[in-house]
Amino acid sequence: MRLRRGDPHTLAGAYALDALSDADRDSFERHLVGCEACRAEAAGLRDAAGRLAEVTAAQPPPWLRGQVLAEAARTRQQPPPVRERQRARRTWLGVGWPPAPRLAGAIAGLAMLVALGLGTLVLSTQHTLRVDQAHSGEIAAVLNAPDATMTTAHARIHGSVTVVMSHAARALVLTAARLPALPSTECYQVWLMGPRGMRSAGRLPPARHGMTAPMVVSGVADGDRMGLTVEPAGMSRRPTTPPVLMMALSTNDPGG
Amino acid sequence: MTAELPGERPRAAPGGDLAGLLALVARGDEAAFAGLYDRFGTLVFGLVRRVVKDPAQAEEVTQEVLLDVWRTAARFDPHQGSARSWLMTLAHRRAVDRVRSAQASADRESRVAVATADYDVVVEEVEARLDAQRVRRCLDALTELQREAVTLAYYGGYTYREVAALLGVAVGTVKTRMRDGLIRLRDCLGAD
Repeated sequence: MRLRRGDPHTLAGAYALDALSDADRDSFERHLVGCEACRAEAAGLRDAAGRLAEVTAAQPPPWLRGQVLAEAARTRQQPPPVRERQRARRTWLGVGWPPAPRLAGAIAGLAMLVALGLGTLVLSTQHTLRVDQAHSGEIAAVLNAPDATMTTAHARIHGSVTVVMSHAARALVLTAARLPALPSTECYQVWLMGPRGMRSAGRLPPARHGMTAPMVVSGVADGDRMGLTVEPAGMSRRPTTPPVLMMALSTNDPGG
Repeated sequence: MTAELPGERPRAAPGGDLAGLLALVARGDEAAFAGLYDRFGTLVFGLVRRVVKDPAQAEEVTQEVLLDVWRTAARFDPHQGSARSWLMTLAHRRAVDRVRSAQASADRESRVAVATADYDVVVEEVEARLDAQRVRRCLDALTELQREAVTLAYYGGYTYREVAALLGVAVGTVKTRMRDGLIRLRDCLGAD
């Protein structure tokens, strides 16, 4: 349910307690953008809320320390936000796209996808797509294509993306699960990159309960890979941050 | 040890040196990250465990939170709020995301009982700690409805609509009690 017109200030407490639904939180954060006093109040209340953790402090199991430190040592850090987009871009492209991660699993038989009409589509235990009517036709075309294959890849730190790809339809349907939440000033932008160059495929829809609505990407060419980067909410013409996920799209192998 | 002059800051702001640690962590300083873990790991783990309940999941979420810190330390902006607040927000949001995505509405009822039952136990465990005592005292200064609204949301991970349903009061009432309660809490904690 959306915020009613009128007084969004009353939501400052619920916001500071993370007690808003995703939709309410998005609305409230849009409100914050234009209201400095509200931002100050929200920060103060969030500070107070954070102090509530002082009564729950507890020692984590000793083995966790070594695991966290070891994991950090092999985890790439995000760069600070850079205003000079030009410079960031050159650096990023100079490095090139890293190799695609190993795919967690590619599942071919998709007979179960026929259940689309029901409005909810179970792709796997982790991925349940909520399909809205507006895109269900496009989505169904991909999912029901005879050559549709499903692939899941894990993002660098957290979360995963599942893609159902049809080369016959030159399109894919993707949904992301449990990616780290972004501030309202940023979005995940989807890119295709391959022999035809790098193209933006638009922004990932916001997540609800950790899961994004399915997104259709058309115009996929053979040899394309798909990447996900964090960009300003208005999207970028070129990636400006290192990809959080890279995924090879199963190619049509002429030999097999 | 030294006498405090009027107008001097009586003590370092809580988490004041966390900002310094974060600056080092942002540059890839693993020793600083280990120091951060040692100083703040108990706060993160304790909060996550309180919200998530399941110990194995709490460990997993704690690790996610700390790796978030490692990964995104460079994005901490002191103009947006304190370092302590940034860290606890990361932890709380992760924990809340976990319970909201994982849990069917069916087990919410039982979680309420647990949330209210072990509140006192946990508080007793750490009551010796000065900070915790102060928070507890300030929580006690809230009206009952303010306190319930705030603690159900924060420790239970409920949305304000769910809190309203649990307490059997109007949604608008819960919204204002959450805000009034946090304002009172803020003023009480700041007044010490």
